[in-house]
Amino acid sequence: MTITVQDLWDEGAERLSLSIIAGEQYLARKIPEIAMNRPGLALTGFFQYFANQRIQVFGLAEFTYLKSLSNKEKSRRLEELFNQQIPGIVITRNRKASSEILELSERFKVPVMRTPLVTMNFVNECTVLLEKLAAPRERIQGTMMEVMGIGVLLRGNPGIGKSETALSLIERGYSLVSDDITEIRRTSRGRILCWANEVTRFHMEIRGIGIIHVPSLFGVASIRRQTELDVVIDLEKPSGDEDRTGVHPESIELMGVKLPCIRLPVRSGRDMANIVEVAALNQKLKELGHDAAKELDDKIISRLTKGRVQHG
Amino acid sequence: MAEQTIVKKLKVLNAYGIHARPAALLVRAAGKYECEIFIEKDGNKVSGKSIMGLMTIEGYPGSTMQVSASGIDAREAMAEIEELFANKFYED
Repeated sequence: MTITVQDLWDEGAERLSLSIIAGEQYLARKIPEIAMNRPGLALTGFFQYFANQRIQVFGLAEFTYLKSLSNKEKSRRLEELFNQQIPGIVITRNRKASSEILELSERFKVPVMRTPLVTMNFVNECTVLLEKLAAPRERIQGTMMEVMGIGVLLRGNPGIGKSETALSLIERGYSLVSDDITEIRRTSRGRILCWANEVTRFHMEIRGIGIIHVPSLFGVASIRRQTELDVVIDLEKPSGDEDRTGVHPESIELMGVKLPCIRLPVRSGRDMANIVEVAALNQKLKELGHDAAKELDDKIISRLTKGRVQHG
Repeated sequence: MAEQTIVKKLKVLNAYGIHARPAALLVRAAGKYECEIFIEKDGNKVSGKSIMGLMTIEGYPGSTMQVSASGIDAREAMAEIEELFANKFYED
C-alpha cells in the first residue's frame, strides 16, 4: 500500500500537532519507506548510506549542527539533502525553518511540516501512526461484538439473525463494535483489529423496526470503538454435521491470521445470544489453557486404555 | 435452470445517491431471491442484501456500481435491481 505525505497529514495533523510551513501543494509525494530518518549524518556530507525514502526529521541535533556551519556551507549541505528526492521534512520543537529550507522546499517540491513535540515523542507517535496507515485493511461482512473481553465476529447469510443475536447480547450488557459491515486490519502483533465504518458506526438494522442508534437506546457502555478479534462464529441453517464434541475445533484464515471458527446451527426458539456467550466464555477458558472437550476426551481415553491394560 | 453469474455496471441516477430509502428498496428486492448478490464500488464489496452494507458503499449520485448476481434466479434478480437503478429508485 502506498502512503503519501497527504495521508500522514490527514491522519496525523491533529494527533502530531503538525502544521505545514512550506510546500503544501506537494503533499501528494509518496513515502516509499514507511519510517522516519534523522538526517544528521547526511548533513555532515555522508550520503553513501542515506535513507532518502523516509520522512526526514529535523530535531535539535540537526539544527545545532547546521548552526555550526558557515552560511555558504549550510546552504550547500541542505541543497544536497533536498536533492536526494526525500518525501518530506518534519521539524520538531517548533523550530523556525530557515529561509534556505523554505526556498529549497519550493525548488525541490518537498513539503515541510512542523510540530511542537520534542523529537523522541514525535518519532514514537508517528511510528505508530505510519504503521496504522500502512497496515493492509479489508471490509468484511459480519457483526462484531465484544463479549467479556472476547472479540466475537458473527457471520452468516442475510436474515439468519446476526443483528438479532447481537441485540440480545447488548441487552445482556455486552458491547457492539459494528453491525453487519466490519472494517479489519492486521496489527504488527499478528492480530486482527476490528472497527465500524465511520458513516454507519453504532447503528444497527433490526428487521421490522429499521435502523436504530445503539448508544442512544442502551447507553455508551453498549458500544466499543474497536476490538481485537478472538473467535469467529458462523450462524448457519441446521445441516446435521455440526461439531458435537469440540475436540477438533475448526479454524479459518483472515488476512493470513488463523482464527478459531465455530459453526452454530440456528433453530427457531434457540437462544443464540446465550450460546454465543457460552462459546466466547469457552474460548476464553481455552486461551487460559483449559480445553474442556480435550480434557474430557483425554480422561476417557486414559480410562479406556487403562481398562484395556487391566483386562488384556 | 443452471447456476449462473451475471455482472452489470449500473449508474446511480437519483439526486441523493444511495441513502436509506434506496438501500432499503435494493435490499428488499435482493432479499426476495435465492441468489447471492454483491454490489461493488472502488474495491469495496458488500452484500446486496445488507442495508448497512449498502449505506457504507458511498453511492454518490452519478457513480457507477458493479452489481453481480450468482445463483439459480440471478437473471430475475438482476432485472429487478436494474429496474430500480433505471427508475432512479422511484425518487425525484
